[in-house]
Amino acid sequence: MILVGELSLWVAILMAAWTTTVSWAGGYQRRPDLVFSGERAMYATFAFTVLASIGLWYAIFTHDFSLKFVASYTSMNLPSVYLFSSFWAGQAGSMLFWTLILAMYGAVAVYANRSRLRNMMPWVTGTMGLITLFFLLTTAFGANPFERLDWVPADGRGMNPQLQNPGMAIHPPMLYFGYVATAVPFAFAIGALITRQLDGEWLAAVRRWSLLSWFFLTIGIVLGMWWAYVELGWSGYWAWDPVENSSLLPWLSGTAFLHSIMIQEKRGMLRKWNVTLVVLTFLLSILGTFITRSGVIESVHAFAQSSVGSWFLGFLIVATILTAILVSTRLKDMEAKAELESMVSREAAFLYNNLVLVGIAFTTLWGTLFPILSEWVQGEKITVGQPFFNSVNTPLGLLLLALTGIGPLIAWRRASTANLKRQFMMPAALGVFAVVALLLIGMRHFYALVFYGLATFVATTITQEFVKGIGARRRMYQEGLAIASVRLVARNRRRYGGYVVHFGIVVMFAAFAGLYFKKDYVAVELKTGDTYSAVDPWGDTWTFTSEGMSTYNTLNRRVVAISLKTTRNGEPMGTMLAEKRQHFDATGATTFEPSTEVAIKEMARQDVYVFFSGLSNADTAVMNFHFNPLVIWVWIGGFIMAFGGVIVMWPQAERRERGYVAELAPQHEGAMAGAGA
Amino acid sequence: MTPDPARRLTRRAFVVRCAVAVPTTVLATASIQAQPSSTVNMDGNYYFPVRPPAKPDAVAQLDEGAVIALEKTLACPCPCSLDIYTCRTTDVTCTNSPAIHADIVRMVDGGYSGDEIVSQLSGRYGQRIRLVPSKSGFNLVAWFLPFVAVGTGGLLIARLVHSWRHAEQAAHQSQSDIRAISVQATSDEMERLNAALRDDSR
Repeated sequence: MILVGELSLWVAILMAAWTTTVSWAGGYQRRPDLVFSGERAMYATFAFTVLASIGLWYAIFTHDFSLKFVASYTSMNLPSVYLFSSFWAGQAGSMLFWTLILAMYGAVAVYANRSRLRNMMPWVTGTMGLITLFFLLTTAFGANPFERLDWVPADGRGMNPQLQNPGMAIHPPMLYFGYVATAVPFAFAIGALITRQLDGEWLAAVRRWSLLSWFFLTIGIVLGMWWAYVELGWSGYWAWDPVENSSLLPWLSGTAFLHSIMIQEKRGMLRKWNVTLVVLTFLLSILGTFITRSGVIESVHAFAQSSVGSWFLGFLIVATILTAILVSTRLKDMEAKAELESMVSREAAFLYNNLVLVGIAFTTLWGTLFPILSEWVQGEKITVGQPFFNSVNTPLGLLLLALTGIGPLIAWRRASTANLKRQFMMPAALGVFAVVALLLIGMRHFYALVFYGLATFVATTITQEFVKGIGARRRMYQEGLAIASVRLVARNRRRYGGYVVHFGIVVMFAAFAGLYFKKDYVAVELKTGDTYSAVDPWGDTWTFTSEGMSTYNTLNRRVVAISLKTTRNGEPMGTMLAEKRQHFDATGATTFEPSTEVAIKEMARQDVYVFFSGLSNADTAVMNFHFNPLVIWVWIGGFIMAFGGVIVMWPQAERRERGYVAELAPQHEGAMAGAGA
Repeated sequence: MTPDPARRLTRRAFVVRCAVAVPTTVLATASIQAQPSSTVNMDGNYYFPVRPPAKPDAVAQLDEGAVIALEKTLACPCPCSLDIYTCRTTDVTCTNSPAIHADIVRMVDGGYSGDEIVSQLSGRYGQRIRLVPSKSGFNLVAWFLPFVAVGTGGLLIARLVHSWRHAEQAAHQSQSDIRAISVQATSDEMERLNAALRDDSR
């Protein structure tokens, strides 16, 4: 089976090469037989990539340590779930996994458009084939998971303990699903540029795939934050690490695109900008891959330095140049059909939103790459860390939050004073009220006050929209509250799903601001029976009493656990168990450095986060206690965003029949929107 | 239609330049990757002692909170990519951050201010010890360029909208000029024109 897998990798390369060659030839010569052959070759590429993947999984599950990859990332005593996820634990396997998703997306895109966009599809198929070919070649020659060792070890090295976490089993695939999905809109953009068809069904196809990418990236990023929070022990979830930034970049540009595409749909504007964003999103996902896999920038999350980085850099440069040339030859085909009439209109608000999103992306990219630039210019590599990103991106984030409330409510074309007053009077009043109330209860942190004021403003605008829509339905159709609510969303999923996503953003931003009030108590020494008292940000007094330490072996690790009895203002709050772990292999030899398992008590107001730092002597544990306000709302906000994404993506029969209308009359839109019809 | 020869030449020149730029950039980046790290000491560790003599009549200028705040702006020199404070309180395997913390505490006790401590550490470790680029020299670019980029984007949008509105106003002006000319007609002519527009004959 392993040999079949290995051979399949090489056959997949041939199939991908065939896909590109005959699809482009078929598109150029307008020969349906070649186009058909190219599409079948795309399916075959996927099939052989599946076989190659099965071959690697088979090697992993049968503990074939003759393969370098299997010996490097698995061991005899690794639990089954982590054997499965070890596929993407290392450079080579993750490359194959990436290629598997890419080939699958290519096949799905070809199948879904088998009777649509016939002029464009050969170019789309060929482009997907070419990207797949690149990844297959990089896998085969740069990081081959089927590479064999000269000798067969009795056991493997095992998986890094920090990767032995349920979040890590799901987080990378989600990110990969998101990253890779950016390739499909890119392929459609290339097809549209070559055939000069940049409206209609192209918009629908690109939007669908961009949404899918956004959805998976959102889940992947939030899961990554959760993993960092529960696994790394520093009581935070985002450190602006280069690898974290790499996942954020395509998310930001993809989000900008999902907003600006609405302007093209409604008004026929921003066609050049939209193509640019589609291309940029794909290139940023490749750049992120380069950063993660090249070792050019230091990060705890990065793969080891390898030659794969040069492959990606070369691909990135070539793709950028070729796409730039293609776009420059099609500029006249992308002239806007309409023009912006006012700086105070929904189109303008979306433009500002794009500016801020791309601005944050630029800042993040700039900060990530600045160490390389400074080394070039000054001969010294400087570090650009969390304080820089926080100080530059926080004002931009606040601006974005404000636009989240303003954009969707402002009228298309030109907003009147009456429109502005009607839509924003109540939200603005409540936002100001929230700030005053917080000042009165003693909050003095400037950014936190602005965050909560804006969060109240945006939450009110969203609530107001739902109340208006539900009220209109109840009056028009005599529906009950529940039915009116469900039908309101169901009849206009894009609009109300978008509001749900925005609400998730509000919840997340409010949670982010909570960390301004974080309290830490570190290096606390506790013997059995000792009690430590600490005051949380809400003014409550917590006590932690050590009930002693226990040592035991389980699965593939030796565990030292400390049990802490906790109280809040004298009331019992249960027991918290923090662990220190030392993993070992099947022979009992220790593997990797000791790792920790934090104890977290999650509550709506705050997380109590306990980190077992180590032992200062045999019976004294060194502990860190952190009170992290509102952290649970980060995960809830992420869930709400993903839920909103599902609503937006859910197919709408009516819209599918009608197709996309390039220029929907605003008065028609306004009349229909109120009742969600 | 014949392509403009000057334009074709420009495009060709662009492609040629790209053909030169691609391998050059790849080689430049590859050379960056190949450079050995200069931040590892003779023992293969990342720690270098920074122990300047205490000032005469030294009085500590920083309390514990200020030391923590300072350490949060300093990068641990090992590849953990954490700040000194976070690293020393969470990564029990790192020996660098506790050693640097000890040096910082020694300097605080020796009467050094926050800026002086950063300066002492930067002198030994280089600029990479700082988690934020200094606001001087070339590093200033790191700070102002993001705001310049966003500001330029905002100005571009404003300019674009202004030019569009200008064009729209010009179109409106030309229409009102036509209406102004037609008003100069006699009432009889106007009546005939209106009748024609209404198409009274139908």
